[in-house]
Amino acid sequence: MKNAALYTRGVLAAIMVVLGVVILVRVLPSAPTGGMAILPGVVLGGAMIALGVHRISLIVRVRRLQ
Amino acid sequence: MPDKAKPELRRSVTPWGSFSWGYSDVGADIFVGLGLVLAAAAGASNVAFLFAGIVYVCIGLAYTELAATYPVAGGGQYFVLRGLGDIFGFVAGWAVLLDFTIDVTLFAWTCVDYSSQLLPILAASHYPWVHFLVTLGLIVGLCVLNVIGVRESTAFNGFVSALDVLSESAILCLGFLFAFRPELLVHNMQMHWPSAYELMLGISLAIISFVGLESISQAAQETQRPASIIPRTSVALILTILIFALAYSNLALGMQPWHPILDAHGHVMQFWQIFPNNQDNQGKAVALLASQVPYYGAFAAFYVPILGAILLLISSNSGVFGSSRIAYAMSSGSLLPSIFQRVHAKFRTPAISIIAFCFVAVVELIFAALPSLDPGAKNIYARFFRGESGLDFLADLYAFGAATSYSFVFIALIALRMVDPLSPRKFKIPFNIPITVRGERAEFPIIGVVGFFGIFAILIFTLFTHPIGRIAGPTWILCGLVFYLIYRARKKLPLFRSQKRDWRKQQVEILRNAGELELMDEYIANVKASDERETRART
Repeated sequence: MKNAALYTRGVLAAIMVVLGVVILVRVLPSAPTGGMAILPGVVLGGAMIALGVHRISLIVRVRRLQ
Repeated sequence: MPDKAKPELRRSVTPWGSFSWGYSDVGADIFVGLGLVLAAAAGASNVAFLFAGIVYVCIGLAYTELAATYPVAGGGQYFVLRGLGDIFGFVAGWAVLLDFTIDVTLFAWTCVDYSSQLLPILAASHYPWVHFLVTLGLIVGLCVLNVIGVRESTAFNGFVSALDVLSESAILCLGFLFAFRPELLVHNMQMHWPSAYELMLGISLAIISFVGLESISQAAQETQRPASIIPRTSVALILTILIFALAYSNLALGMQPWHPILDAHGHVMQFWQIFPNNQDNQGKAVALLASQVPYYGAFAAFYVPILGAILLLISSNSGVFGSSRIAYAMSSGSLLPSIFQRVHAKFRTPAISIIAFCFVAVVELIFAALPSLDPGAKNIYARFFRGESGLDFLADLYAFGAATSYSFVFIALIALRMVDPLSPRKFKIPFNIPITVRGERAEFPIIGVVGFFGIFAILIFTLFTHPIGRIAGPTWILCGLVFYLIYRARKKLPLFRSQKRDWRKQQVEILRNAGELELMDEYIANVKASDERETRART
């Protein structure tokens, strides 16, 4: 049960990383016309990747402790 | 006669409980802030959120370090009291108290706004008296519930937070998948860029989406092994809130609405354009955005207003509870009269504190509602305060209180690194410069300085762009200071200096109570080594 919850959280964290990448991929092509206007979108994508990776690293640490 | 042990809070909050505690407090802010910022900063709303968000990350890291090092419920006022002394501790605590009382009113107000999406009779612009009376009823109801000691359970908080995180994630994921047009976002940012004044106004309003970090330190008091748990949950909380704020603002600017939105002349409007000069829409922005997400919006239009209203009500309740707790902590530190520590004989709650600060919240509600209730007051607001609405009035004070207390917390963070280098810091903000202070090795936090300049800029923006905030905010602080000086004079306590306190002994007790026995041993060893160094230096 505990492992199932851990895996679910891991999958959610992985989805967050993927979504961050998707946002970056969608926003970055607008860079030539948008210039600095894409900055908030880039930070958003980066923050989503950072949170996803942070969650995954915590889950990996818990798995190692088990 | 045996010593009567001082009752203490039970440390039973789990990591998820700690996260949801913070989330139910800070997470509700975006429900209020989004519409206000879109109305003020138009095409630069996401930039306003980005600026405030970066400052907020610095504040969050500062609170995380301080709460993990000093896991006590006093929060900002305790850190400032310890780092800068009594009078600054009072000012920071008094500013936090202003925020908590505004919290009560603002969230009760927007709870009614969100409900009005399903019950139009609650709309503030059409039925101001109904809106006012329902908001008043909510505040009085929360006051009574807190006095008799009924609180929402941590489990309920956790359930609502989980539901909200899932719901917001779904709205944003589907919104970005089906309604987001990056070229529209860039177009809006280039064609509807606000003036410098409007951008400053937007930034000062954006900070209200990130208020409530006191909950981190309040959770620290009730979490087992807070030094280990708090940094984990805080980093997740900080990033989650930042992501939601940035995501909502980007989506709102680059959104192709599911159903065309038309203005009074039948012209097609963009989504963000429904917010300027429309107080009703500003108060329920997330619900309106959710309803415009293709397909999912049909379902979201029904449940998001309800979920938003529940989350906002919980946040309003945390204001009632938080203000009484801060007043209790300030009273324990001889910053406020002991009456605020008095516990009701039957209900065992700080009834006087709760009633006093709910009364302040009601006064704030009256000032906020006046322009819509009375045409005479509306004229006065229009003449002297640029016609600010009730929501603007509350947001003004909220931004002022937050910016003031957070500014002091950054200075306290830097000061505590210098005056208390011996306390073990299990979590430390990155990017530090090693220095030596009075023979002890310390680290100067660069992010603390960056964060201070950021939040101080927001304080200046608030004073510059909010006509009511720049009068009412400093007036609140001045009245508090007069009250503080009278109280200290009557008690024959130092007026401008601090009382003598044994911080070392207190720190050992704090760490022992928190169950951080390894850190306690490390602290005692640090103190011993420091004393030995001092003795050697003298001889």
